[in-house]
Amino acid sequence: MTGPVNVFSAICLLTVSAFAEVSRYESIADSSSAVVKLFGAGLGHLDAYGSGTIISADGHVVTVWNHLINTGYLTAVTADGLRFRLDVIGTSAVHDLAVLKLNAAENERFPYIDRVAALKPDVGSQILAFSNMFHVATGNEPVSVVHGIIAAETELAAGFGRWKLPLQSKVLILDAVTNNSGAAGGLLTDVEGTPVGLLGRELRHDDSGTWVNYAVPFETLNPVIDAILLGGSVRQDDEEAAAPQISDRQLTSVWGMTLLPKVLKETPAYIDRVIPGSAAVKAGLRRGDLVVLVNDDVIQTTAKLRTYLAQIRSGLRVTITVNRNGALQSIQMRVP
Amino acid sequence: MMNHVIHMTIDRTNRRFHIGVLVNLLGTLIFGVVSATAAPRDTPAWQQREQERIAVVQSISPTVVCVMPPNGQGGGSGVLTSADGYSVTNFHVISGSGNFLKCGLNDGHVYDAVIAGVDPTGDVAMIQLLGRPDFPFAVVGNSDGVQVGDEVMALGNPFLLADDFSPTVTYGIISGIHRYQYPANTFLEYTDCIQIDASINPGNSGGPLFDIQGRWIGINGRASFEQRGRVNVGAAYAISTRQIQLFLSHLKSGRIVDHGTAEFAAETDTTGRVLVSDVVEISEAWRRGLRPGDELVSFAERALTSANDFKNVLGIFPSGARVKLTYRNRDGLQSTTIRLRPLHEFQQLPALPEERKIPSPDDPEDVLRNTEAMSPKEWAHLFESRDGFTNYAFNRRHQARLLTPLLKQLESHTRLSDTWELSLSADSSAESMKLVIARQGAGLNQGNTPWHQDANTLNPSAEPDDFPGLLTAALQWHRLLRDPKGSWSETVYIGTEHHHETAQEVDVLQTREGPVTCRWLFAEGSPLPYGVDVESGAGQDESRLLFVKWNADGEIPFPARIGVIIPQSGDITWLTVHSAEVRK
Repeated sequence: MTGPVNVFSAICLLTVSAFAEVSRYESIADSSSAVVKLFGAGLGHLDAYGSGTIISADGHVVTVWNHLINTGYLTAVTADGLRFRLDVIGTSAVHDLAVLKLNAAENERFPYIDRVAALKPDVGSQILAFSNMFHVATGNEPVSVVHGIIAAETELAAGFGRWKLPLQSKVLILDAVTNNSGAAGGLLTDVEGTPVGLLGRELRHDDSGTWVNYAVPFETLNPVIDAILLGGSVRQDDEEAAAPQISDRQLTSVWGMTLLPKVLKETPAYIDRVIPGSAAVKAGLRRGDLVVLVNDDVIQTTAKLRTYLAQIRSGLRVTITVNRNGALQSIQMRVP
Repeated sequence: MMNHVIHMTIDRTNRRFHIGVLVNLLGTLIFGVVSATAAPRDTPAWQQREQERIAVVQSISPTVVCVMPPNGQGGGSGVLTSADGYSVTNFHVISGSGNFLKCGLNDGHVYDAVIAGVDPTGDVAMIQLLGRPDFPFAVVGNSDGVQVGDEVMALGNPFLLADDFSPTVTYGIISGIHRYQYPANTFLEYTDCIQIDASINPGNSGGPLFDIQGRWIGINGRASFEQRGRVNVGAAYAISTRQIQLFLSHLKSGRIVDHGTAEFAAETDTTGRVLVSDVVEISEAWRRGLRPGDELVSFAERALTSANDFKNVLGIFPSGARVKLTYRNRDGLQSTTIRLRPLHEFQQLPALPEERKIPSPDDPEDVLRNTEAMSPKEWAHLFESRDGFTNYAFNRRHQARLLTPLLKQLESHTRLSDTWELSLSADSSAESMKLVIARQGAGLNQGNTPWHQDANTLNPSAEPDDFPGLLTAALQWHRLLRDPKGSWSETVYIGTEHHHETAQEVDVLQTREGPVTCRWLFAEGSPLPYGVDVESGAGQDESRLLFVKWNADGEIPFPARIGVIIPQSGDITWLTVHSAEVRK
């Protein structure tokens, strides 16, 4: 019996808010002003734009940890049209979360949402989703807002291509098409503007293949965000480390290159050195290239690249996308 | 418990009874919840809102048109805008469908419709439903007043579901306003449009968007489709009724309607100012002093905060509109007006880009042959093909509407071809002047200064300093009155416009002869023109006159007052006409 009751009380809630139209417009304006449009590099199915939600007056921004974060020249456009570079404060692969900071003057203050005051409404509640979907909103326009209902709260087995959502905790499933191109990292609120969660990626469900619209509640993200703000990345499951990785010896003898040594937990996959006459050089790879994609898979760390290269079969054609001096270049080669 | 009740209803023998039980149970449940939150004796607020919404949907549904090409392939939606059947839809809905269409309304009837005008740039088309003088039509709302979060309803025929033509209703909110959607090639550009999250699917194109009170605020034409195929993804775009209203009379003119260019470009700088980046040197904007580097403050009365704003505002106006421009240069704030020049000047309807075509299983040539065959005989006279026009029959009708009363008025005047002599004085001085207008030239004696303009050269520097354009325009005025129809190589009805300086609603009839283009303005209530704008060459200011209070009793009709619109300031210098004489 609790299900239907919740639906009806949600309808009553909507009615109440409809009588307070002014506050509704105000809360929509407030929420929009805390969402930034992210612009970076994309390729193929990977969009060159995304969304982020400002969580502090200093300009901390949360978003999903996707390919955009690794491109090296990420820009945020705030609701009033101002542009900022972003610094990566920390990330958590298992929570698919990145915490960034707008690179602004010391005393600059931003509108933000109070993630500590976030609520997780019951299934059946009305929600609003704010995002830079389809990068419709250019310049100083506010982002798009769509309405819907929380349809379920559940664990989610979904992915895109080879990438699988690593999140183990429950997510909110939404009945509206909220997770569009560029919407990941946008803000989910209730109808009164109280923050609820962070919009996820465009993913297909593992079983049905249908597109899933979901958000991760701040309730789940808050401890992770706190940990990142306290210092560095959250410890990841060592699943990745346990996977076989290509050795330095194989890298030099077969590929003819070395990667940046693993100085950090998440060392970016920079090519440190290439050996003249090697397969790497013939294909066009250069010292200083940052590997961002192999085929359609995002490479976030040297560890990820080593794992990938250990798995890939000799003789296959691959496309390696590198960031070279700020520009993405695609390199086609056969696996040596 | 709920499951149990639903199972019971499947018992066919007692079906009615069991459904009754279910309804009762549900009713109790709803009542129980509502009574806990609302005052017991009142109708619950949400129920009242639902009733209101149902009533609104019932009142607007009859205005929604199901638009079908005569061969039955594809189709879209539209909305009735007047009792005589004029309906708006998308250009991409009717493109390639021939000159006549079949249209279904929710009364279950199919009506013939004829194409009346198109705006390929704005993706709008006007058709006229035929066979009834009393079509229901939509009430226009204020699309400029909508806000993000407003509730909206989209009506139309998605997936062509409704066999009885009752429209499908989808509900949503406004997700964004003043959105810009890039064109395909150079047309199908959506400027200043309304973004909604109501479901919009193939077949919804051309259908109306209503606010929650049932006022028409847009035409649903486009949606964001990326990797999920051509179905709703929660982001669709409606052309505002503000834009459609600015084009409405133009679309009824049978022309291929064009949008305008301001002949300068702008970009947003890093501090958020909108700066002029380039100005065409023979443009009116250049002549009014606009230069690269100047800051654009407002355009067509809308304050600009980005170059996108500028594109947005520009895009809602038809070519030929005169709009206000405010900019800042090193001398301070400057205000002026400019006329928008044609963007495309389509002679033929442009073909839709492949990705915007409505898929049809048939060979396109077959489809075309079919549509020709299906033109209804009884309405064949309503279509007339001509270059630059969608349907010349509509233009011919409007020309006749303006020219027939004028010809009738001029019938009794036999000496219109002779030389006219008007004695007049300017408001600013008591000095009497003589304006002489003949076929070959016009002259003004102003004190000791004689001014003379030759009809063949139309030299701008020959115009009187105080009354620039008076003689050039007077020569065209003479020409119009001596032979309203035969004197021009081309006559086109444009539509109505808001006369910028006097705020008068006027019909515009455009004539062309050699390099000279005249826009004859007609106001309601007089067969004689309200004014004229003459363009005598590229890069030159227009010669613009207003005619007030025509006196048609003498040998020639003449206005009691003539207004000369000064290009630099937009001010009107008034002349009073004391008498008019005719001589050989």
